[in-house]
Amino acid sequence: MNPGSKALAEFVAEATEILDALGKDLLVLDERRGQEADPELVNGIFRAAHSLKGLSGLFGQERISRLAHGTEDLLDRLRLGRLHLDDTALDALIEALDAFQALLAEAARGSESEPLTRRVEDMTARLAGLGSPPVSVDEDPLDRLELDPQVRSVFTEYEEHRLRENVRRGVSLWRVRAAFDLSDFDKGLADLNARLKPLGEVISTLPSARPGGTHGIAFDLIFGAQATGEALEAGLKGTPAELSPLVVRPAATHAAAQALARAVEPPASTRATLSRVDAPAAPVKRGGKKKGARAGTTTKGAQKSLLPSTDAEGADSSGPGDALTPSGAPRGPGDALVPVTPSGLQSPAGSPGASVAYLQGAGGTQRVRAVVMETPSTGTASPARPEGDTSLRSLTQTVRVDIGRLDGLINMVGELLLIKANLQRLAESARQDGAVALSKLFGQELARETRGLERKLEALQEGLLEARMVPVGQVFDKLARLVRRITREAGKEIEFVIGGGEVELDKLIVEELSDPLMHLIRNAIDHGVESPEARLAAGKPRRAVVALRAEQKGNHVVIEVSDDGAGIDEMRVREVALTRGLITFSQAQEMGRRELLNLIFLPGFSTARSVSELSGRGVGLDVVKNNLGNLSGIIDVWSERGKGTAFHLTLPVTLAIIRALVVGVSGRTYAVPLNSVLEILSVQPKDIRTVERREVLDLRGQTLPFMRLARMFALPERPVNRYFVVVVGLAQERLGIAVDELHGQQDIVTKPLGGRLQSVRGISGATDLGNRRTVLVLDVAALLEEGLAVERRRA
Amino acid sequence: MSRFAALLDDFFYRPDEDVAGLHDFAAGSDGTQSSVPEEVPEEYLAFRLEGECYAVPIRVVREISKVPPLTEIPRAEPHLLGVMNLRGELLPAYDIKVRLRLAERAPVVAGPEAPSPPRDARILVLRTESGPAGVWVDGVTGVVKLKPSMLEAAPPGLRSGDRDCVVGIGRRGSTLYILLDAEQALAS
Repeated sequence: MNPGSKALAEFVAEATEILDALGKDLLVLDERRGQEADPELVNGIFRAAHSLKGLSGLFGQERISRLAHGTEDLLDRLRLGRLHLDDTALDALIEALDAFQALLAEAARGSESEPLTRRVEDMTARLAGLGSPPVSVDEDPLDRLELDPQVRSVFTEYEEHRLRENVRRGVSLWRVRAAFDLSDFDKGLADLNARLKPLGEVISTLPSARPGGTHGIAFDLIFGAQATGEALEAGLKGTPAELSPLVVRPAATHAAAQALARAVEPPASTRATLSRVDAPAAPVKRGGKKKGARAGTTTKGAQKSLLPSTDAEGADSSGPGDALTPSGAPRGPGDALVPVTPSGLQSPAGSPGASVAYLQGAGGTQRVRAVVMETPSTGTASPARPEGDTSLRSLTQTVRVDIGRLDGLINMVGELLLIKANLQRLAESARQDGAVALSKLFGQELARETRGLERKLEALQEGLLEARMVPVGQVFDKLARLVRRITREAGKEIEFVIGGGEVELDKLIVEELSDPLMHLIRNAIDHGVESPEARLAAGKPRRAVVALRAEQKGNHVVIEVSDDGAGIDEMRVREVALTRGLITFSQAQEMGRRELLNLIFLPGFSTARSVSELSGRGVGLDVVKNNLGNLSGIIDVWSERGKGTAFHLTLPVTLAIIRALVVGVSGRTYAVPLNSVLEILSVQPKDIRTVERREVLDLRGQTLPFMRLARMFALPERPVNRYFVVVVGLAQERLGIAVDELHGQQDIVTKPLGGRLQSVRGISGATDLGNRRTVLVLDVAALLEEGLAVERRRA
Repeated sequence: MSRFAALLDDFFYRPDEDVAGLHDFAAGSDGTQSSVPEEVPEEYLAFRLEGECYAVPIRVVREISKVPPLTEIPRAEPHLLGVMNLRGELLPAYDIKVRLRLAERAPVVAGPEAPSPPRDARILVLRTESGPAGVWVDGVTGVVKLKPSMLEAAPPGLRSGDRDCVVGIGRRGSTLYILLDAEQALAS
């Protein structure tokens, strides 16, 4: 690996981490749409965008850097309150996150595609013109705060904004003064911050003007408390903090006070319109998928074209000394109006050309002017997103490991070194003393050391396996983001429930799981869940529940994807399978409900009446099943008409160590993963029958396809007087594999055969059984397919 | 190139000859700096295959290993001898004698029927584009330094197979080294 690619890998790993954090915070914001955004959260996202910008700049990733700059800029305006976080801004941020992921994927591949570059440029331009103007109040509330101007001058812009915001909302402000000993003030301060956090917002931490003694240092924390003074006192008990309230003077005039009250609480009429917007876009879209989507696009387009004008307005009204409205008519309601305008203006938007609408501000003195451009219905307001095929697989191979775990491993290595030293000493004394040393005592000592070695090695193995484990929540979070998008696009109302995100699985498995889970969830939203109307008609709540839960069961993890939708219609499954020729009529006659349901895993099967953008291309469940097969996992479906559908995915906790059956053929040794072995038979050569020149076994009255491993692998066959037949099975398929010898069971660490040997058939990897000889691990799925293909060809 | 040097080049210069002294002499004699570029010798690893002397650039060789027990891969291409376990790493081991037309078929060196490998035999672990790969050699001769001037293009008669794995001939003293392109020699 050259240094360039190593640097790139580092960049991708780090950027992925930042994006993950960013995505998580955005999701929280998204969930709380319509509520006041948590400033802490916005600030966190801002910092993430900022570090992404720095990081990508450092690694010469110009496109990411540019977009990050645009995002950071927007977020900066948001956190400083110059913009209001509305749905458009939030959607743009989420879209930017998608773009970042696409960019990072390209960066990881070392390519740059033209459409993406254009998309980034468009987006950067759009981000620059985004957001609604802020709530601007004619009088700076900070002036009402009795605070030393000297103190005020050291605030950063952000701190000042937060303070202003707190004053405006009438939050009680406190000065928390605390002195700490110089030797451990960082700890004390961190402790104080941790205690304050649940009680409110720490706006600023300043060095105190009061000396902290010869060995101390004192701080003034400006704190906006959500709790009462008593609660605050109680919460700070035991810390050296002293509380003193910061006095906020009442607003200068009666009018201004009234205005303030109105700013905090918008008038009823405005609130009514507001709530119409805040409700999810679903009401607009419910009318029908296509139409709804178009309406949404129009709205978006309208809002977009509207923004520059409002932005400009916001800019000139927020100028210094902005006593534009002496009566103190707050621009709070004005601000609230802006997100309203597009939906409020939907009917005028229908008239051709541009229409100008005037809406009355609450104070009656100010008019918010909105220009709505009609967008052609065919217009694509947002650039087509490369949909559907984006994988959720992370771009990095890096696993984050708790330093404690690593320390444990290092300790174990240290102990192993001790044992090695002991063994060395024993070997040395055996060599020097010759026969004398080989006494009983010597043997005992040697045995003790080997036992110690064995124990330590086991612990080391366990520790390393643990280090590979990551919580499945990593994938769940990404899926949650996707669900919001799909839901919006599908025009359904869904509550997405996640459980068991802390269950740990091997990193490799978690990575491979993301795509199958995405398929299943898309299916659940697209086909499983009914439309809100249909749900109401069926007497169910309009909001459907799609759940994703993980649970550990012994050495396995079970992941459930369920919905409370219409369930699978097994008769339709039967009908489709028959018309597609997947089963014959007589086969269908014999099938039970469970077997019929399992038909949905067949390649080329899809009951969806129309192929939608999200799923239903007829690929899906068979791919899901295959992917899981590669992970030694099983998928199972449960469904009840009208009640819902649930898929259960059973997976091993790790693939790194599996239990295997060690077999011998023609003097060679092979390992068969035990999870696919059903039973083992001892068979005399005379028991092997031939049906149409292919060999079969009679197993309790059923015909079992049979294959000699030596023959299949073209090894010199040895005459034996009995075969051991390992019966392997995956899903409904069974195959007997004849081997010469059984050597027993063993835990093995499978290694993939690697790049040059990928094309080898029937072998999934190799392992070491402890005698330096490499033993190949059979790929049961491939052998099964091959064995049965031979049969089919002959049939 | 100065006239004197050019003259010398015509008459006396041979690729394997160390003529640095002569160049110095030539440079000093006519008062101009010799423009003959300083030759940077490249190191090659020389090894034996069926008595012939071959060499590969040393930078493609990751390590030299004694022949460990090899495990044959059923139904693999004939030139894949098997896989070996090198300190826990799984590596394929290849035969290149058939490709070089030194043998009719790859020797059986893996599996229970294989005899123990000859004492001198080694596996060269080479760096290739698709990961490390082992190559069976009958013995390792050592490292040779070859200057670009000691290299010649491969004579047409030496070309073997449809792909050119012989890139040239290196001549040092009386010994000829057949220079191999490892990537081509291992391509299937």
